[in-house]
Amino acid sequence: MAIDRRDFLKRSSMAAALAASGASLINAGFFASPAYAGSSKAINFLSAENLTGNWDPSSHTTLGQINFEGFVFGYLTRAPMRPENPDELVMELAESMELLDEHTLQFKLKKGVTFHNGEPFTAADVKATFEYASGPDRPAQWYPGRVTVDVIDDHTANVNTKAHGYPASLFWFLSAFLPIMSAKDVANPATLAERPNGTGAFKFVRQDGNTSVLEANPDFVLGAPKVPGVNFTFVGDATTRMLSLLSGEADIIERLEAEQVETIKSKEGFSLNKAVSVENKYLWFRCSKPPFNDYRLRRAVCHSIDRDIILEVLGVSGTPSNAWISPVKFGYVDTPNYPKYDPDMAQKFLADAGFPGGKGLPKLEYITSVGFYPKTKEYGEVITAMLQEQGFDIEFSAMEIAAWADRLYDRPGGGPGHMIDCGWATGSPEPDLVLRTHFHSSSKRICGIEDAELDAVLDKERNATDPAVRKKVIQEELMPMLAEKTPALSLFTSVFIHAYRDELKGMYIYPNGMMDAVNATNEA
Amino acid sequence: MYLLNFLVRRLFQGVIVLLIVTFAIFTLLRVVPGDPVRLIVGGMAPDEVVAQKAEELGLNDPIPVQFARYLGNILQGDLGNSFLRPKSGATVGAAAHDDPTRADRAEVLDLILERIPLTLQLAALAIVFALIISFPLGIAAGLNPGKWQDRLAFFAGSVFVSIPSFWLGVVLALLLSVQWGILPSIGYKGFEYTILPAFVLAIEMSPFIIRTLSVSIAQVMQEEFISVAPLRGLRRTRIVAAHAIRNASIPLLNLFGIQLGVLLGGVLVIELIFDYPGLGRLTINAVLQRDFPVIQGVAVFIAGLFVFINIAVDLAASFIDPRLEY
Amino acid sequence: MTDTAMKAQMPVPSQVGELRLSPTQRMLKEAWARTSFKAGFFVFIGLIAAALVFPEVSSIDPTKMNVRARFVPPLFFGEKWTWAHPFGTDHLGRDLLLRCLIGLRWSVLIGCASVIMMFVIGCGLGLYSGFKGNWTDTIIMRITDAQLSIPFIILAITILGVSRPTVPAIILVLGLSSWPLYARVARSVTLSEKGKEYIRAQRVLGASHWRILFLFLAPAILPPIAFVAVLDVARMMIFESILGFIGLGIQPPTPSFGSIIADGRKYLINAWWIATMPGALLLITLTSLNLMGAALEKARNDVLKGAA
Repeated sequence: MAIDRRDFLKRSSMAAALAASGASLINAGFFASPAYAGSSKAINFLSAENLTGNWDPSSHTTLGQINFEGFVFGYLTRAPMRPENPDELVMELAESMELLDEHTLQFKLKKGVTFHNGEPFTAADVKATFEYASGPDRPAQWYPGRVTVDVIDDHTANVNTKAHGYPASLFWFLSAFLPIMSAKDVANPATLAERPNGTGAFKFVRQDGNTSVLEANPDFVLGAPKVPGVNFTFVGDATTRMLSLLSGEADIIERLEAEQVETIKSKEGFSLNKAVSVENKYLWFRCSKPPFNDYRLRRAVCHSIDRDIILEVLGVSGTPSNAWISPVKFGYVDTPNYPKYDPDMAQKFLADAGFPGGKGLPKLEYITSVGFYPKTKEYGEVITAMLQEQGFDIEFSAMEIAAWADRLYDRPGGGPGHMIDCGWATGSPEPDLVLRTHFHSSSKRICGIEDAELDAVLDKERNATDPAVRKKVIQEELMPMLAEKTPALSLFTSVFIHAYRDELKGMYIYPNGMMDAVNATNEA
Repeated sequence: MYLLNFLVRRLFQGVIVLLIVTFAIFTLLRVVPGDPVRLIVGGMAPDEVVAQKAEELGLNDPIPVQFARYLGNILQGDLGNSFLRPKSGATVGAAAHDDPTRADRAEVLDLILERIPLTLQLAALAIVFALIISFPLGIAAGLNPGKWQDRLAFFAGSVFVSIPSFWLGVVLALLLSVQWGILPSIGYKGFEYTILPAFVLAIEMSPFIIRTLSVSIAQVMQEEFISVAPLRGLRRTRIVAAHAIRNASIPLLNLFGIQLGVLLGGVLVIELIFDYPGLGRLTINAVLQRDFPVIQGVAVFIAGLFVFINIAVDLAASFIDPRLEY
Repeated sequence: MTDTAMKAQMPVPSQVGELRLSPTQRMLKEAWARTSFKAGFFVFIGLIAAALVFPEVSSIDPTKMNVRARFVPPLFFGEKWTWAHPFGTDHLGRDLLLRCLIGLRWSVLIGCASVIMMFVIGCGLGLYSGFKGNWTDTIIMRITDAQLSIPFIILAITILGVSRPTVPAIILVLGLSSWPLYARVARSVTLSEKGKEYIRAQRVLGASHWRILFLFLAPAILPPIAFVAVLDVARMMIFESILGFIGLGIQPPTPSFGSIIADGRKYLINAWWIATMPGALLLITLTSLNLMGAALEKARNDVLKGAA
């Protein structure tokens, strides 16, 4: 699937410009037929990543659980990010949204919507969700900063950023990525963690070992789903997932690798869905502890890695990109000074950092996960070999997914290991969901970088009210600075490949891997 | 009376052995690198939280004190809580230090008890398959020492024992479940999912059964009461059935006690390959996730099971042949 | 331990005037007469020789990746096969034959070293226990019981899983797994030999305990335990590959059977040879060892029967 990037960027900035000019976007209509197809059976989906066990959406950044929330929680809007209309927003819980002024974004909410536990959905829930989840202590840093929501009436909520010093237009696209929780649950975070309670198309019934059992929510605001439910199962092994699909135990699986695509193609009765995703895969440096607190050493690593080879290993599951965000995001640019494979440069930086030829460097641990992202172990071995060639002493640890996840984040004194592999996929074109989350000292999730210059550029970019100016700052100041400081190296952009039984029809897959099963049918 | 004596003595010995095993594993998991508190509170927690939690859990006490506490808990049926698995049963990762679910972890004993029936089912079926494979080969070899049946059993045993079970599992799963679609085997949705893993385990165990059978039957056949039996007008098949197999059953029983270890080892890997939700997969995952309480709980539980079954085996053997010494 | 070394130290049995072979020699002679032993022996030696020589003379580096030449099938399969890669190449374009042979080296090394270790620990403790008697004996034998009641693999996985697996650690863990059997055999041999004439004579002559232990008792243990040791080498090689398979064996880039099979498992449908070739080679190696071990056992039983 090719995305015309220029066209997309034009539309994105247009949408934001539109928003900035005070226009409003009305629900385009995305109604599902309420007819319930009796022959449909529940969809068995195999997730490549585990859930965290805490149902609070603001408690984690786990992609598997974000996909889960896509089924259970409601969002003000949804961003299908279709190639022909990438900036389209479909209204879900919102009736309409309107930018009243620079610091105020108004949402009119649909009436008669209820949470799965029967509570009515009102503006108070939006207020509770936004104010709680934007707190600086919440582990999921999706919000551009703290935010206040003014409840105008039961079905009108004004997102107000005046006191926090950044434009409210940032919430335009973000509205598609923030699951709405119930105000009652937010008041008591323990219940929030205990069970998921949303307004989404599917209700959580129970946890059966690694399977989360969901059933259709007949009162879903966009119409009742046609399938009776979804079984969301974590299977941490790519081969097992494929075998389950082939043997009919699964209806849809995610994160296929090149060889598996070949196999599925050779079999009757299965279809594939391929899409350039919002996810880039990165090699994160632990910047808050030696030796990678020295940018020269990080650059030496970056120039030692031949990304073409990695893409070769990856095959169809990756596509080249030269920035810290995916080409389908607002502000993407082919960064002109993006670090290229250049052994001489690598040696020069090594020598500058005081480790000529790698001599004197401690053993560096490079951590990756297996079973979730395609080919991590394979290209990890390739990267290890490339680094060893330049004189780095690398210890390569390929870990089981949950163990890896527990080591992922920065912590006081630096995260475990020295380099760690991870991708970042967020269901919105908003670039700050990556850039600010990772490179601003207020969040610095994985790399742990604290750099005043980076902070300044990130704030400048966030505070720009004119989308064109914002894009320019991202493309001409932020990206080149990241190419200099390289707190992480973006390796490539993921291509998400899903495979499913031909009988499963009408499923929509978002570019971040979330799924819309409202219109899906699944004949036995 | 000496039966009681035997039981008491063996149980006492068993308890001592369990104590040693528990202590060994307990100490081992406390001296290895990798900070358990860090695992409990998660990656993003500041150091003070770690220190506070360590104090709370009593991890700063001397090891013997901690061990005594652990033993006390075991006696109350409490094997501790998993570091990584929440009560809901899902796996966990990347949750924050102040996350309420961090305090709400699954009981290790529950995790084990949930999975043990499936593993027992797998093991039982594997033993049945192993006997089905071994009996014809072993008996034929025992009845015809030196002939082709003997050589066949010898060769089959040597090859079977040489097959890396995990490799066989991988290949069979591909051929039978994927390419030909004969038998489902990945995951668990019903009894038929047990067949293929059990068969692989059976192949792994059968050489020992074949050998024990053929050796003991050959031995029994040489004894006088068998060779004179035809003179007493008894048919050969009946003799074999009546005497030989009965006599071979004691070495077989003893073998079972020893084979249990092999079986358990096999179960670990086989469950992993077939994604079979039993004790083995729980263990391997716990090891890969460094979920110490689960590893420790499983090891203690299995050692207990092992000791218990071996006592039962000796007891059963003594019923079959009362001449055996207690 | 080589056989010649054993022979040199073997006490001449007490039968006067009769030139007879030592039990070890008789057993070996008997075993050699069996086709299964010879077949196993030659196959094993051949494989070891290949593993030792071929990687040294080959111009290919077993860890060198050539991503563009990946998934080359083995000889005569498909269209892409080449003489340069008789077993084909893996998913990163590394030569599979070389990787298998290097894997075999490590596997045999770990198998032998761990068996030697359990032999030394087991026989040492058994000898000492049987020789000393009394409470030393009781304590050592209780430890042996305890060890027998731990399902070893759980222990091994625990130790290697929580620490970092290195070759010495793997050898150590495997070596600790099966020594009790050796201890029991060594102890019973010691108990029966202790009372014999030649040992008593040595004592009278004032030989130290250690001298008697190592020069006279130790060699007598070999015949009853030799076949177990050979079978154990095969068993330890399987364990090593299991550890490699679950990622607790030798760490990459060094290849091991287990890790090659684990990596190749993903490609079984598209490139069956990556997991199949090392599996088959391991199977052949183990069969050769097991044939030798089983033949040794039968030979020993025959020697015993003949002597009785």
